[in-house]
Amino acid sequence: MISFFIKRLLLLIPVFLAVSLVIFMIVHLVPGDPIDNLVQINSSPEQKAALAAKYGLDKPLYQQYTIWLGNALTGDLGDAIILRRPVADLIAQNLPHSLSLGALALLFSTVVGITAGALAAIYKDSWIDRVTMTLILLGSTVPGFWLGLLLIMLFAVQLGWFPVSGARSWDALVLPVLTIGLGGVALVARVTRVAMIETARKDFVMMLHAKGVPPWRIELRHVLRHALLPVVTILSLRIGWILGGAVTVEFVFARPGLGSLLITSLNQRDYPVVQGALLMLAVAVMLGTLLGDIVQAAMDPRVRERIK
Amino acid sequence: MRYISKTRLFASSMLVSAGVFGLAIVANAQEATFVVSAQNVGTPSYNPINGTQLNDAITLIFDRMVIQDADQTFHGQLATEWESTADGMSWTFKLREGVTFHDGEPFNAETIVWWIPQFAETENAFMTAAIESVEVIDDLTVRFVMANPDPNLLSNMSSGFMSIPSPKAFDALGDDFGVTSAVGSGPFKLESFTVGQETVLSANEDYAWASDLSENQGAPHIKTLTFREISEDSTAFLELSTGGVDLLYSVPTDFLPRLEGEASVQVGTMPGTGLFYIPINTTVEPFTDIKVREATAFAINQKEILDNLYGGVGSVANTFLIDSLLAANVDPALKISYDPDRSTAALEEAGWVMGSDGVREKDGTKLQVALWTQNGTEFKRVTEVVQAQLKAVGIGADITVFDSATINDQYRKGTDHQLAVRSYSWANADIIDWFFSGQRLGYPNVSMWNDPKADEMNLAAMSGSRTWEERVANFTTYHEYVLSQYVFAPIYQPVQIYAYDKEAIFVPEAIRGTRLQSQTVVDITVN
Repeated sequence: MISFFIKRLLLLIPVFLAVSLVIFMIVHLVPGDPIDNLVQINSSPEQKAALAAKYGLDKPLYQQYTIWLGNALTGDLGDAIILRRPVADLIAQNLPHSLSLGALALLFSTVVGITAGALAAIYKDSWIDRVTMTLILLGSTVPGFWLGLLLIMLFAVQLGWFPVSGARSWDALVLPVLTIGLGGVALVARVTRVAMIETARKDFVMMLHAKGVPPWRIELRHVLRHALLPVVTILSLRIGWILGGAVTVEFVFARPGLGSLLITSLNQRDYPVVQGALLMLAVAVMLGTLLGDIVQAAMDPRVRERIK
Repeated sequence: MRYISKTRLFASSMLVSAGVFGLAIVANAQEATFVVSAQNVGTPSYNPINGTQLNDAITLIFDRMVIQDADQTFHGQLATEWESTADGMSWTFKLREGVTFHDGEPFNAETIVWWIPQFAETENAFMTAAIESVEVIDDLTVRFVMANPDPNLLSNMSSGFMSIPSPKAFDALGDDFGVTSAVGSGPFKLESFTVGQETVLSANEDYAWASDLSENQGAPHIKTLTFREISEDSTAFLELSTGGVDLLYSVPTDFLPRLEGEASVQVGTMPGTGLFYIPINTTVEPFTDIKVREATAFAINQKEILDNLYGGVGSVANTFLIDSLLAANVDPALKISYDPDRSTAALEEAGWVMGSDGVREKDGTKLQVALWTQNGTEFKRVTEVVQAQLKAVGIGADITVFDSATINDQYRKGTDHQLAVRSYSWANADIIDWFFSGQRLGYPNVSMWNDPKADEMNLAAMSGSRTWEERVANFTTYHEYVLSQYVFAPIYQPVQIYAYDKEAIFVPEAIRGTRLQSQTVVDITVN
């Protein structure tokens, strides 16, 4: 298991390098530049050139990339050009908000998704199955941005149960978590349902029935357990999706977080912040995938064998 | 015994609850939450000297030497009197007595001697570029010795960028000034600032030097004032309608009908500082021909856009400057207002004849042009109407939408764009220099207009004026020449719309100044 873990960790190095290069190139190749957003309306071209030199933006791109990557590897993500603070401070200030939002949304999608999927599978073709699947279809097709506004209208404006926006109290987390989580519920429930229905058709399940094991015990202890493997895969891939979803949700709910930081900095082309925030998101996705692989390997010896 | 203790416990808990509740009411009675305009979300710092983007809380933390009223007249704040010599080479300011910064440091002539040189080498250096040195006459009088006359000096000094920080705190904090802390002499002290999220201010109880524009000459009525940053206008609107916040600094025009339907919401307007217009690239065909430019300018039906897109809120633009600027008072014959006959005649004269598909042609070439715009509902809607209006006179336009940070880079190429829908926000005539100076072709001179005669007028207006009146006259002449060359088409002047919860706070009807700033905020009371 340890060698499996080390191998998977080593695999992340080339992925990290490739991702850092892609992030750097995307950020720098998009037209627009931070100096435009930094200078006053009456500034001279000389002032702009001096600022570009100050932030190293006059150097060739490959040099800028190697300097940035070299510093990033030592934990120095540089200083924000527009926001005028160390990027690491900005990320440290915002990351906990995104992580708590993401973790709660993931937990919500997992618990509600597996429960809904299991119910739909156990009561296949009944009204429970049909209602669950219809709700799931709705949940997976409504865009997060719109769903967020709908939830605000219902729970904050009409019912007054939760605040409209912000991050001043715990209850301000409820609507953002629902907004991101509901999309995940749909996916997890669908995968759980299909996997459980397929597992239920396997020979060992037939045998358990033949041996007279109670049906609820077969469903929960044997079928669901087997069906969880693809669910774990989906959940680990879902981490990236959830963090991506947090970008729009943080915007709608005016919450602090990497998403809000990313949007503000992207609009101002604050290169160091955009690069730093994207790199953090990429690392979070990579670690999430790694975690998923480890959990899967722990659950299924076949996975461990494959990597050997 | 047990009963007694339970009763006591109950009674004391009731007392504590009542006390807490009472305190909450008292605290609530003096607290308010304002939402900054969406365009100010992400303002990086409260450092007026090197900041290039500041939000409206800056005028609450700091004071300025002079401030402006809505009619653009100047009123003293930290300066009580001022005068300049006839040649504009010297300005004398008398300073207010008894002013202290939030850190207890005194404000006096030495403060100004320290303050002005701080601008050198910063992004805001142009603000004080004309000041050669500052001389102390006495403890409360200073003289600016000018390198060249700058009739715009008072206007610069009334801007938030010329807010005066505490020298001691500024030097001690270095790059952290405005980021971790900010110390001024304004009616509010900065308690905390989380970039992109919120700024919490507390009343400066020692404040006793409000300008004559404020009724309240003492400490502000609001004791804790929070500025929240909300990017999404719908979210800000819902916060206001549910009582989550008390005032929105800026409301998009299309929210007006909904806000007016809210019983507790009061909407107010102030003259705007912005203008929508169409720069015309004078270096690419067919716009090298002034007749085609004239036809384009007169094809735009400003009134139709004002009425149909903005519900009549705001005003039409007929020049390049907002109406409140004196240099906007040009010869009426030069104003550009919708005139389809004039537009058609100009096109006919230029040899463009109407084709069977409604698009004009000349020597086998269609009058089909590129019309650029930036993303955002408002820009897209205005651009679509402009496209239809151009089509009405026989000019076909293909719309391309760019994101706002990308489009400036595209303009720099200079040859790809023809027409564009743009807007600016700036309450000074020198905006003409910024967008039409031959020194800045591509961007910001999107019209690519390089005319030696215009640059001569530009020079006279920008650095050849000795007095304010002379500056106005020079800018008016320059402005009139710009208008006569049809290098742009004016569209619309938005107003600033603010909204507040009238059950929560009282906002004076007359907003002093060009924005909702300290001169009015100190008069706001919590109901």
